[in-house]
Amino acid sequence: MPVDERALLANYLVVGAVLFALGAIGFVSRRNLITVFLAAEIMLQGVSLSLVAWGRFYNDWAGQMLVLFIIAVAACEAAIALAMILMLFRCRGSLDVALWHELREENLPPPADQEPGEPPPPGPPEWPRLTPAGRQPEIPREATDFRPRV
Amino acid sequence: MNDLRWIIPVAALLLGIGVWLMLPGGGPRRRGIGALAGTVAFGLLGSQLPGLGEWVSQSVFTVLAVVTVISAAGAVTFRNPVYCALWFGLSLVGTAGLFFIQGAQFLAVATIIVYAGAILVTFLFLLMLAEPSGRARYDRTSWEGMLAAASGAVLVGLLSMTVVGVLDPERGRSPPVAVTDLDRQQGVLGGEYVRPLGKALFERYLIAAEAAGVLLLAALVGAAVIVGQPQARLVGPPPTSPGPQDAGGEPRAS
Repeated sequence: MPVDERALLANYLVVGAVLFALGAIGFVSRRNLITVFLAAEIMLQGVSLSLVAWGRFYNDWAGQMLVLFIIAVAACEAAIALAMILMLFRCRGSLDVALWHELREENLPPPADQEPGEPPPPGPPEWPRLTPAGRQPEIPREATDFRPRV
Repeated sequence: MNDLRWIIPVAALLLGIGVWLMLPGGGPRRRGIGALAGTVAFGLLGSQLPGLGEWVSQSVFTVLAVVTVISAAGAVTFRNPVYCALWFGLSLVGTAGLFFIQGAQFLAVATIIVYAGAILVTFLFLLMLAEPSGRARYDRTSWEGMLAAASGAVLVGLLSMTVVGVLDPERGRSPPVAVTDLDRQQGVLGGEYVRPLGKALFERYLIAAEAAGVLLLAALVGAAVIVGQPQARLVGPPPTSPGPQDAGGEPRAS
């Protein structure tokens, strides 16, 4: 029995809608600048999925072509967005969106901020570590001591 | 099947509740309940999708869709931005798989290369600015999680009801459509994937391709200009909250 193309299209459109909605929720509600932009990329993924499904349904290349341009524009967007995040971080020293709340419109109240309902994870901050592997090379002491930071 | 029309709104509602509970701001218990609600919601939503009629396509699609959607939910709701980026990468892999079985092989490869290879790695570089393991205050709260999740649930519910109601062959609105032999000789289903795409790109969509090239150049120059500005001109009004030592701050009412 062949695959029903309408059912296939419906499945893909629903998955695309769910991806778009998840991205929209994250874009509105997260406060870390980097997570906000990840959520925007998830929204783009949902739209791309729907476009590819429509392209297959109509047996036409236009859907995939649009997705190709979406990828190009997303690359531009990521370059600009990351540059801007870097500059915003340099200005305020934090990735919090709330620090830029004076950019809102004049007649709007400041955003309400509630206390976080969960404590920070216990213990000192965990930085990523690499598992040592292999034989430790013999480095002369003076070669390591002159580095300001390793 | 008409009696089961309430399942999709219920699934959308459960999805909204689940995402709301999983957003940063609650404890681990709330998060567990949210994950449970979200799983039930995905199951309900999946049960309402029309079947593909062929078990190989159905199982491949199901696996890829579940991976994509669950990892997207993880990318949106995890506290630690590093984990967010990793979940996003997994979601990209799932999306690329879905592209692949839809006849978009070039796009699948391009998604992996451009997104997972370039954009995601740049994100991870930038994540060195963030505080590790969700320690920052702004990673543990969220803006108006309930409203955001409610609007997302409305979006999912409306779109799914429309799509399934119009396109489901079992609900009687439309007859099933199968691929004919004529379709298999041309277009996306023609068995040739990359060459027709490139041909279309550089013949019919040539101007758009040139415009995309100009856009990429402009973005490159713009990013260089934004980052390369001298520091003094960019420092705006003083921050209204303490610096990074306090793990982010809250806006003060002015």
